[in-house]
Amino acid sequence: MNVTESFDFEALAKELKPRCEALIAQYEQPRSALLPMMHLFQEHQGYVSQEAMEFAAGLLGLSHAVVESTISFYTLFFRKPVGKYMLQVCRGLMCELRGAESIMAYFREKLGIGHLETTDDGLFSYEEVECLAACDRPTCMQVNLEFVYSLTPEMIDEMLAAMRAGTYAIEPLVQTAKPERTWKLRQDSEVARGGKSPGTLSATSPNNAGGVGDPSGVIMLDSFVTKDISFTGRSRERFVRDARGVAEIIEEEGQNGHAGH
Amino acid sequence: MPVTKVLTAGIGEADLRDISVYRQRGGYKQWERALRELKPSDVFEACDKSGLRGRGGAGFPTGRKWSFLPKDVYPRYLVCNCDEAEPGTFKDHMLLEETPHLVLEGILLGAYGIQCHHAFIYIRGEFKRGYEIFSKALADARAAGLVGKNLFGSGYDLEVTVHRGAGAYICGEETGLLNSLEGKRGEPRLKPPFPAIAGLYGAPTVVNNVETLAYLVPILERGWEWFAAAGTERSKGYKIVSISGHVQKPGNYEVAVGTTIRELIEIAGGLRPGRTFMAVQPGGQSSACIFEEHLDFPYDYESMAKAGSMMGSGAFTVFDDTTDFVKAALNSIRFYAHESCGQCTPCREGGHWLERVLHRFVEGRGLRSDFEMIKRVGHTITGLNLCALGDSIEPFLLSVVNRFPEQFESRLVREVTTA
Repeated sequence: MNVTESFDFEALAKELKPRCEALIAQYEQPRSALLPMMHLFQEHQGYVSQEAMEFAAGLLGLSHAVVESTISFYTLFFRKPVGKYMLQVCRGLMCELRGAESIMAYFREKLGIGHLETTDDGLFSYEEVECLAACDRPTCMQVNLEFVYSLTPEMIDEMLAAMRAGTYAIEPLVQTAKPERTWKLRQDSEVARGGKSPGTLSATSPNNAGGVGDPSGVIMLDSFVTKDISFTGRSRERFVRDARGVAEIIEEEGQNGHAGH
Repeated sequence: MPVTKVLTAGIGEADLRDISVYRQRGGYKQWERALRELKPSDVFEACDKSGLRGRGGAGFPTGRKWSFLPKDVYPRYLVCNCDEAEPGTFKDHMLLEETPHLVLEGILLGAYGIQCHHAFIYIRGEFKRGYEIFSKALADARAAGLVGKNLFGSGYDLEVTVHRGAGAYICGEETGLLNSLEGKRGEPRLKPPFPAIAGLYGAPTVVNNVETLAYLVPILERGWEWFAAAGTERSKGYKIVSISGHVQKPGNYEVAVGTTIRELIEIAGGLRPGRTFMAVQPGGQSSACIFEEHLDFPYDYESMAKAGSMMGSGAFTVFDDTTDFVKAALNSIRFYAHESCGQCTPCREGGHWLERVLHRFVEGRGLRSDFEMIKRVGHTITGLNLCALGDSIEPFLLSVVNRFPEQFESRLVREVTTA
């Protein structure tokens, strides 16, 4: 499906409604059908849109807030558009013992993006995920939830080339809107905490300073800063102590009121 | 080598996803026999007397778990837990994809044993392929009259619903799973009441692991005496062990419970040439490491507890001398910090706190006081949460800090001496 500026959600909802009703009929209580319904919408729209959650809320007699709260709990629901190939590489300990770190570094280098990011052309989304239960064939990954085992750099080269050429064996995901840099929302914990790939963590990463155990006493400032800040040339520790810099950002972002999340 | 193929029989040799192949090999015979000849109490008795214990991690005796259901309270439910996500465990993934009819027959027998008419299987969201394979198996079984109404003319009705998760380790915890199955956030519930009293939709519910239910099939086929004859005094029968890490042939190996740690490593091809053994994590990421002095311990629930660890779900990870235990500990802690559902403060905050401390070590900026901090934070988490996730954060970390302190010492920030 081509990316269209205005996706006709009404038409999709009309098409999927009978299937949603069949899902609801499987359970003693309708709400049990929420996750299966959202899987269905994500399959057809590429992500779980606000409209899809609104639709589910209406069908199940729930409030939108309850639906969104539930959906936000699950990492496999994308609440914003993603790339056509969702590359999820296992970062579990068993894969790490057998070289997952170099595989992840290779992916990041070849794709030019990091954990939880999408390439500018909207083709690839990349995530380092927890144990995928295939520890006998490390390093493993999922491409659009299909397993690929025992990765090597050569396999990655071939895979990415085939995906770019449109000849890869695994079907691309449906894409109905252009993805942004990340499909995570600000309040998702990992992004709010400045989540980065294990390989890219350094002394200046937000994941490290400003934590509960930080001897400087600066606690979790990340949650008040809603703008991505480049720390080039200045360490994070120095930055957070620079009260003026922080005040400026909070002032600037104050309109958005993110501190209330 | 003491590998015994029971559940794993035929995998890799025949296409067990094909219902006709499964039936040719004796599949669904026990289900038919149960409906034609056995009372639900016969199934319960076989399960109870076999000594079968939960294969999902806790090792609770399955018959006892069933016996907690209140008498004559209906509806009641059976839920098969296929939310396999404990790092290092990959047995249910294999059973689901390779022998889905065996999994289904186990569910059917379990449902009959507890006399319920609606059973569920909760499949981890990542197992999309497994979900499709199992759904096809269920449709084939339904078409063959094995699932549905008035089965084999017995008057017994049974419906099975396949439910897919969407990415959350905590949904493997049985009450988190039930919440998720009800369409809620997968946050564990306060216990008691346990699911046997108030589970799915508030009704009496049994949640059993895939492997646990699958063992009901051979137990009925060969008799509970056969199952109880294998294993050790209190840990009966067979177990699929998922062996990973630094061995030459990682994989799922089915053995009698009580096979020694040393034998298990040998079964998986032993260590790589020129490498020396450092540790084994015998029960998934939640378990403490055991070491050289435990190599001749039998792999059973009691011996692993005696060694200061646990058998858990049978995830058996081997570490050789190439292991950086500081990084391994960070990986393990990061997992729990990421997967904590956030309900209980000790688990939610403690995981991230320890993660930050371990980052310091990995970057060579550990402080001597951090050793004390690790112990203090660890003790503050353990035992103070609604579910066992919090209790799983500390064991691996403490076991390797205590055993390999030099690896952590070498990552301390260099001490500055002033003149």
